[in-house]
Amino acid sequence: MPGVRLAAGLALADARAEARLTLTTVLGIAAVLAPLIVLFGLKAGVIDALRATLIENPRAREIVNLANRSFDAAFFARLAARPEVAFVIPRTRTLAAQGAFAASAAADTAVRAELLATAPGDPLLAGLAVPQGRQVALSASLADRLGARAGDTVRFRIERVLGGARETLALDLAVTAVAPPASFGRDAAFLPLPLLLLAEDFQDGTAPREVPETIPPPDPARVHAGFRLHARALEDVVALDHALRREGVEVASRAEDVAGLLALDRNLTVLFVTIAALGGAGYLVSLGVGLYANVERKRRDLSLLRLMGLSARGLTAFPVTQAAVLAFAGAVLAAALALGVQAGVNRLSFAVAETGRIAAIMPVHLVTATGLTVLGAVLAAAFAARRAAAIEPAEGLRDA
Amino acid sequence: MIALDLAGITRTQVSGAARFVLEIPSLRLAAGEALALVGPSGAGKSTALDLAALALAPDRAERLAVAGTDAAPLWRAGDREALAALRARAIGYVTQTGALLAFVSVGRNIALTQHLSGRHDPALIARLAERLGIAEELAKPPSALSVGQRQRAAIARALAHRPALVLADEPTAALHPEMAETVLTLLVEHCAEQGAALLVATHDAARAAAHGLALRRVVPAAHEARSTVEEAAACPA
Repeated sequence: MPGVRLAAGLALADARAEARLTLTTVLGIAAVLAPLIVLFGLKAGVIDALRATLIENPRAREIVNLANRSFDAAFFARLAARPEVAFVIPRTRTLAAQGAFAASAAADTAVRAELLATAPGDPLLAGLAVPQGRQVALSASLADRLGARAGDTVRFRIERVLGGARETLALDLAVTAVAPPASFGRDAAFLPLPLLLLAEDFQDGTAPREVPETIPPPDPARVHAGFRLHARALEDVVALDHALRREGVEVASRAEDVAGLLALDRNLTVLFVTIAALGGAGYLVSLGVGLYANVERKRRDLSLLRLMGLSARGLTAFPVTQAAVLAFAGAVLAAALALGVQAGVNRLSFAVAETGRIAAIMPVHLVTATGLTVLGAVLAAAFAARRAAAIEPAEGLRDA
Repeated sequence: MIALDLAGITRTQVSGAARFVLEIPSLRLAAGEALALVGPSGAGKSTALDLAALALAPDRAERLAVAGTDAAPLWRAGDREALAALRARAIGYVTQTGALLAFVSVGRNIALTQHLSGRHDPALIARLAERLGIAEELAKPPSALSVGQRQRAAIARALAHRPALVLADEPTAALHPEMAETVLTLLVEHCAEQGAALLVATHDAARAAAHGLALRRVVPAAHEARSTVEEAAACPA
């Protein structure tokens, strides 16, 4: 390999000797590559975050029935068995689905909140401790208004008028978790189903004021006024919506929004891929043409080295070394420029994504950009060098 | 030892619509021997030199031996790597204007042939530079040298790896007469010192003869696009 080492050394010496040309080539590479890296960063920062916020939001996958009906256990079993259903749980009648909460038994003010049944696997409480027995999980806004956090105890109160007398059921509930704001926008409390049914029965006048120490599980024969279900994937929402309507169940879902969202997501992905492909292809072509021209410019020197006995490998090593070094330097400069642009853009206060970051250039972007640049440069230079290697050494003599 | 042994060689040069054939029936050079190919411009002196330099493929070659290795089968087999290795080992070449690489120092230019042949000998480079009067110029870029100095650096490069054969194509054509004398003297002296055979292409037969080179004419055929390197051992200047 002495020829290869010699040629690589000469290539670096040539790049040093022609510092101005080297610098312009490196700047040229960086000028085209930096915007592509920023584009990748923007995709990661804005588009992916938007996608995640919109598409991964469990509310987008929620379907609830509209009018109060009577759904039996068989209906729930059938729904739960559908492959598109990730989670389904009964709802109480709308009128019985409200209660008052206070920060403590002694607190003067109470906040009225919706009551929702929950159970393990509830997407609205994904990853959080699910309440059991005398426990509750709070929506973010309710927790905020009560000044409550996980681990606190809150006072739950509902009232009924029975035989002309106003009666109150009051319970202290331990807060297991506060749901993220995206899960539920209004004041709401997530209760274990037995506790919620007990509240419903109390308001119906069928349960006593005294709450038993252990709340019994619901009667399997009991019918429920409604349900809340979450589709497994966003794409399933539309299908489930249609299937339930065909069964005569009026439902509310975000099927139309979802269809629009999916279309937007597809269009954004196509747009990004198109821009990246066009930009990337144009970049690689311009890089290749520039390096090819560089080899043509060095043709006389290369044929002279060939005349002196440089091997074909050595001849290839000259432009390839130069291309790799220029491409690497260009990619490093582009990365520095892109990171600078990112810092500037992220300082602007458009909080598009939840993270507040518009651009998020990741190490994988920089490694990919550098890798592809060096690979493209080396391939272009190797192609040009093959042509140079094929010329007769005498060609370099006559105009020498 | 026979440094160069050419026999039965033809090469057709095509330039646009024009074709030109060079024939070398026989040409032998022993170690230490010095020969000048002389003839008018366009006769084919440079083509003959390129064929001897293994820089140009012959159309036909019975024998094309350099330092004992016959390159004719290598050309027929298209073994360009073996040809390159033979050039690196056995041949030194001096062009009209030196043809130094502009981006490395004069010293690195001279060392190129040693690197390529694997015969590293910094002391020889220092000695050659001293004798050729360019010892002070080794660290400089070629652009800092005069034309005469560049030509002397090219001679040092052609001799630095102790080749069996040194080829020089009009080595004095770009120099003023005084410098031409000096350069040719140095070239002949150093080749003789190293025992290298020297083949020079020149239109200046008188100067070549004055420096003790045997002469061989390249003769264009009348009314034919064909030249022949004479077989006679020598001809009058």
